[in-house]
Amino acid sequence: MGIYVLKRLLGAIPTLVIASLLVFAFIHLIPGDPASVMLGDMADAEDIAALRTELGLDRPIWEQYLLWVSHVLQGDLGSSIYFQEPVLRVIGEGAETSAFLALFTMILIIAIGLPAGIVAASFHGTRIDQSLSGLTMLFASIPTFWLGLYLIFTIAVRLNLLPTSGFPSVLESGNLANFRYLILPAITLSAPNSALVIRLVRAGMLDVMREDYVRTARAKGIAEHAVILRHVFRNALIGVVATLGFTFVGLVSEAVVTETVFALPGIGRLVVQSILRRDYPVIQGIILVVIVFYILVNLVVDIVTTWLDPRVKLQ
Amino acid sequence: MTMLEGRARLGPAAWLKTASVAAAMTMALATSAWAQGTFRFAMTDEPPHLDVQVTTATLTTLVDMHILETLYTFNSKLEPVPLLAESETVSDDGKTVVIKLREGVPFHNGKEMTAEDVVASLDRWGQYGGRGKVLYDHIQSVEATGDHEVTITFKDVFGPWKNLLAFNNGGPAIMPAEIVGQATAEPLAPEQIIGTGPFSFSEWRPNRYIEVVKFEDYAQPPGAPDGYAGPKDVTLDAIQFIAVPDVGTRVSGVQAGDYDYAELIPGDLYEELSSDDTVVTIRAGIPEYPLVFFNSSDGIFKDNYALRRAVMAAFNNADALRIAVGPEELWDAQGALYREGQFWYNDAGIDSYPSGDLEQAKKLADEAGYNGEPIRFMVSSSYPLHHDTGVVFAQEMRDAGFNVDLQIYDWPTLVNRRAEPGLWDMFETTHGAMPDPILYTFMNDNYPGWWTSPEKEELEAKFTGSTDPEERKQTWADIQKLMYEQVPIIKVGDVFTFDIVSPRIEGLPEQQTMFWPVFWNAHKS
Repeated sequence: MGIYVLKRLLGAIPTLVIASLLVFAFIHLIPGDPASVMLGDMADAEDIAALRTELGLDRPIWEQYLLWVSHVLQGDLGSSIYFQEPVLRVIGEGAETSAFLALFTMILIIAIGLPAGIVAASFHGTRIDQSLSGLTMLFASIPTFWLGLYLIFTIAVRLNLLPTSGFPSVLESGNLANFRYLILPAITLSAPNSALVIRLVRAGMLDVMREDYVRTARAKGIAEHAVILRHVFRNALIGVVATLGFTFVGLVSEAVVTETVFALPGIGRLVVQSILRRDYPVIQGIILVVIVFYILVNLVVDIVTTWLDPRVKLQ
Repeated sequence: MTMLEGRARLGPAAWLKTASVAAAMTMALATSAWAQGTFRFAMTDEPPHLDVQVTTATLTTLVDMHILETLYTFNSKLEPVPLLAESETVSDDGKTVVIKLREGVPFHNGKEMTAEDVVASLDRWGQYGGRGKVLYDHIQSVEATGDHEVTITFKDVFGPWKNLLAFNNGGPAIMPAEIVGQATAEPLAPEQIIGTGPFSFSEWRPNRYIEVVKFEDYAQPPGAPDGYAGPKDVTLDAIQFIAVPDVGTRVSGVQAGDYDYAELIPGDLYEELSSDDTVVTIRAGIPEYPLVFFNSSDGIFKDNYALRRAVMAAFNNADALRIAVGPEELWDAQGALYREGQFWYNDAGIDSYPSGDLEQAKKLADEAGYNGEPIRFMVSSSYPLHHDTGVVFAQEMRDAGFNVDLQIYDWPTLVNRRAEPGLWDMFETTHGAMPDPILYTFMNDNYPGWWTSPEKEELEAKFTGSTDPEERKQTWADIQKLMYEQVPIIKVGDVFTFDIVSPRIEGLPEQQTMFWPVFWNAHKS
């Protein structure tokens, strides 16, 4: 197992190098530069050129890349041009929000998606299944920005039950009540993802239900709930786990719309803002961190899969 | 042990404890996480940095108006009046200005402001600030001629000097010499932003907020409060500037009481919010205006004033503003660069302000020798006002027979491309009102558009070379007239933005008649 993990991590190095090269090349290909964003509308070419030199942006791209890589290898992701803070600190600010938001959303997705999927599959073809399918389609098709604004308007403005936006740090203040800021965003973000999981669980279980061993189990007289949970659900779960893993990574890095609507200081919004500002070190840093995160989650998914399905071997 | 046994063992004391924890959590949920004396301002984005000397970004100015002060500032009539300066004497030839500074004014780091700090601040701004060069091109020397006295010697008579020293946006904020003396083109870090203002910088949490806190030792300027001048009645403990990019969230946040103030609400919501009890609308008293620049340096419009006039004739500014802004209270399709009632107002040349006369446009285009050459018109998708009016203008130009290549970019890309004279023919941007016409970008020979002509240079020299306000005003009228002949820009019209504030806030004006909102007199009830 230890050797397997080590091999996988070593195998990830080429992925990281290729991805970082591509990212570096692409973001420097976009026209526009941070110096002109920082100096405002009045700045003339001379001022912009002077600042570009101070920021090292006038050096050849390959030189900038090698410099960046050599710093990354020493654990230094550089400094944000915009915030004049270490990139790791800037990402850390966003990571708290993104991690908690992803966690709460995952809890909702699992709490809604798995039971509803099991129920839909168990009662497939009946009115219960049809109603669940209808609801699933509805939630899958509601745009998150609309749902977010609707929840803000009804729950936060009209009923004044929860805050409209923002997220004061919990880790720093120790104030757990701040988690209430994440309730509406988590509901918003979980709606389409729960719908996806319900469909996946239902489809996976229906496939397994046609297998011979399920018929055998029923023939042996095992109670229906035991057949569903022990034989059907567990086997259907293998495909779902992989999807949940990537959904989790996606929730951390791609929740841009939800973070924008709720003014949350998360990673998704940070990366989009950084692209608009051409804050190269932050863009590179976030993408690097997200890729590493993807690789780790992928590894965890594979390990969990072997635990769920003993036929799969780690090699 | 079964679950049932476990639950049965919970005695009355344990239940009480559980209930009290639940009650405490409910209370914590009910009370706000924010301090009572913190004013929460929802702004559209974060500023690029807080070094106002080297950027004209409005977001930077909004924060820095509370932290940094200048030698002069503007009163409610938008006239420059002393702030950190106490008085000045101007020599008879108009070339030497001796400024006496107020004494006993502390910086946020405790040090008293002296002439040395002022000289270092002005010199850094003059060298690296975009607006600083406008003044320093005319300056021979700036010297400390006493602990609290600064002498500015000009190369020639330069009329707008006081307006330039009073304008905070991209302006000469006074900071301690030991900080600003070392500064270069690179913006100062936030913790280096130390000034003499009523609030001091506290912290910048990336993507969360920028916080400034009340400066207890603030030296109150003499006189009565008037515009940005005079004493400040600070009762707030702190102001947080929070980036809330989604406008729906900015509005909901003020309605629900999560924010106290939100800026730049779209015109579509004006009528609805004006009759909403949970917010108070504050309409800008002075406008900002979209401007369409022509490339005077390269391409089809170079030296072809007639063709520019033909394009201008096709513009129906009222239609574009109606579509882009909405309610008629929020825009005015008028062609003067200043509004009636303002000091610099005049109506020279505005007979040519267009109203979408397509036949006239076609006729003028024929006379100008236009043969269907493509016209590259750049607008930015980052600003709805630019984009929406730009799309209307492009269609109007096509209707008049122009071959328009409308190019839509995000703002940094547009800024990058417009610096290259070979890449474009027209672009659109927005400018705020300026206290002195010399500060308008189109007056700057180096600003993209690059308007230079013998007539302009002659009038500009006359304009800056006089200190007599009435003479300068007359020359400005001549410049405006020339603008409608040579058309370096098309002034689209006046747009009045509006902000919203919570009814719990007192002390803010009903109409925002200054350049930017300031919150030092705001109180929470």
